[in-house]
Amino acid sequence: MTPALLWIPLLPLAAFALLITCGRRLPPPAAGWVTVAALAGSAGATLALAEPVFHGHRLAVRWAWLSAGDPRWALGLSVDGLSWLMLAVVTGVGTMIACYSTGYMHGDPRESRFFAYLALFCASMLGLVLADHFLLLYVCWELVGLCSYLLISFWFEKPAAAAAGRKAFITTRIGDAGLLAGVLWLAFAGGSLRFDALAGLQDTLPGGLLTAISLLIFLGAVGKSAQVPLHVWLPDAMEGPTPVSALIHAATMVAAGVYLVARTLPLFTPESLQVVLAVGILTHLAAGTVALTMTDIKRVLAYSTISQLGLMMAALGLGAAALAMFHLATHACFKALLFLGAGSVIHATHEQELGRLGALRRTMPWTAAVVLIAAVSMSGVFPLSGFWSKDAILLAAQHGGPPWLLGALLVGAAMTTAYVFRLYLRCFHGAPAPQAGGAARHPHESPLVMVLPMAVLAVGAAAVGLAGAPWLGHPLLHLLGVTEPHEGIDVSILLWSTGAAAVGLWLAWAVGVRRARPLPAALRPLGTRLYTLAANKYYVDAWYQRLVIGPCLAAARGLARFDLRVIDRAVDGTGLAGRAVAIWKERFDRLVVDRLVNGTASAVRLGGAGLRLVQTGIVHQYLLVVIAAVVFVSVVLR
Amino acid sequence: MPVRLILLLSHALFALGVYGILTRRHAIGLLLSVELILNAAALNFVLFSRVFSHVEAQAFALFIIALAACEAVVGLAIVIGLARRAQTVFADQVDLLKG
Repeated sequence: MTPALLWIPLLPLAAFALLITCGRRLPPPAAGWVTVAALAGSAGATLALAEPVFHGHRLAVRWAWLSAGDPRWALGLSVDGLSWLMLAVVTGVGTMIACYSTGYMHGDPRESRFFAYLALFCASMLGLVLADHFLLLYVCWELVGLCSYLLISFWFEKPAAAAAGRKAFITTRIGDAGLLAGVLWLAFAGGSLRFDALAGLQDTLPGGLLTAISLLIFLGAVGKSAQVPLHVWLPDAMEGPTPVSALIHAATMVAAGVYLVARTLPLFTPESLQVVLAVGILTHLAAGTVALTMTDIKRVLAYSTISQLGLMMAALGLGAAALAMFHLATHACFKALLFLGAGSVIHATHEQELGRLGALRRTMPWTAAVVLIAAVSMSGVFPLSGFWSKDAILLAAQHGGPPWLLGALLVGAAMTTAYVFRLYLRCFHGAPAPQAGGAARHPHESPLVMVLPMAVLAVGAAAVGLAGAPWLGHPLLHLLGVTEPHEGIDVSILLWSTGAAAVGLWLAWAVGVRRARPLPAALRPLGTRLYTLAANKYYVDAWYQRLVIGPCLAAARGLARFDLRVIDRAVDGTGLAGRAVAIWKERFDRLVVDRLVNGTASAVRLGGAGLRLVQTGIVHQYLLVVIAAVVFVSVVLR
Repeated sequence: MPVRLILLLSHALFALGVYGILTRRHAIGLLLSVELILNAAALNFVLFSRVFSHVEAQAFALFIIALAACEAVVGLAIVIGLARRAQTVFADQVDLLKG
């Protein structure tokens, strides 16, 4: 089984290596199919692992990484139920989305680059899921962040896309700093960073320390999973290509925060779980209200994703990691499907404003059908996937949470139905869109490579939840380590959630489509103010601009001025002083040193010229001198 | 034979050689003059070996004869090289040593 385990991350990595080095030389469609094939291979390997994992075995492969000091650092990959479920989500949804992308990105000049990034993302995401050690997880955590940045600003010619990539990178960086600090603190306090050693730490470490460490780790999850207050990057990330939004910013990477908290749940003390619950429920409700007011279909879906991730965090806050992961899996199916449907609409009409869309049901029947399935599933209608996971969380909230929690979650459920059906009804029903600019557009159904993955995901969105249904004996919950799942279907919760969905549907139809005003006249000013507040995203971006970015920029400008006025002048002054000294030294060189050297040379030359006269080359003269000298020496000096 | 006469002869030979060296322009003439000087020296050696009964001094006369032969060989070779190179054998027409 070990080879299959290794193939899972290595296949997409190999696809990345192939595409980044010689992707441009491949014919354009081939690049996409390389990625699809690699991901399908990973999915096959994941399926091959299913049998032992469902029997409760834990597969692992480890290798020594650093043998410096003690303990030796060993890294490894391991699969248990939790990571197997994530593997299935990433490889399954990833394969479908890569297949869809071959149609969506067709003809883009950087198509092979896109698929290279996509493969790298999948490889690092799979590495993140398989890591059995905090360090490897952190490395992959940063890698998926990098891929997210690269893919959000994939169309970097658009200033908005470049800015969105930057914003996503920097915002998640704040969370990552928390995660790193938490991991380091844990390493210094507890020693082992292996996940299978976390369970024993509750007994050995003091509670306050664990609370601090777990909250720092949770900060990483908040950044990655776009929870309040670090959620601002995800709506902007919609500037990226839509398949990227579906894969990274709906199904997998943003769910990594949920996975991280589920994986490290043994570290979380009751106090930190309270924080997780509060952040989750706040995100769930706040993002839900914003999603109700957005008019860009991808932004509606982005806030919906934030809201659903908040729901998962709330489930984690209740300590129900299995339910959070269950909702993560079903959410990955229906939210990826919604994004792919939105991408299909954008591909067909080049339009993503709700006001300029409508009546697409006739021209795009397949897209309309799959979006309807996803919307119904997300609303939690019996017996589609969303029902099972959401009702399980509602049930856990009723039994394990404070009394107001169930009410808050029901309001959230109603909002979920309201915004998703507002989107569906205004896109696919109603009057045809007013023609912008007078040019007639002819929306058409997307090609088969795009429709087919959507159809597969629609089956998933409808049926994946059954894996956690009591009819089949909760196989998924057993996989995630729940020993005694709730028996049967709780009818009261079923009725409550269906009622919430019905209210949401009525709201979507009455307010979102018919533009009715259900509020009594006395409350309307308040309603308008609330609407304005939500439509402006609670002014979070504006406050960040004013409180964080503005002061940062002002400080940077001040430092730039300091540079210009003080440091530059100091440097320039040093240069000028050096120049003045050099001028004086040059003069000394020229007037004193040069003259000394040249004078010596001239003296030697003059002497040589005088002596040359003696050396005539005539032998007789030399002999005469010799004989005269001999005579002189022997006669005169005798 | 009186010593004085022979000394006179050797001095005459030497003076003749020096005169020849200073006045001859032809390279072979110069070589001949050098031979005269060498032979004057050899004559002196032989003379004084007889006078002071030192037979070893006669060995120097033999050395000088051998030396003169070597000198003639080298000198003639130089003359031939000069004739080829400078197309002349007159010493005052050659100034290769001029500084």
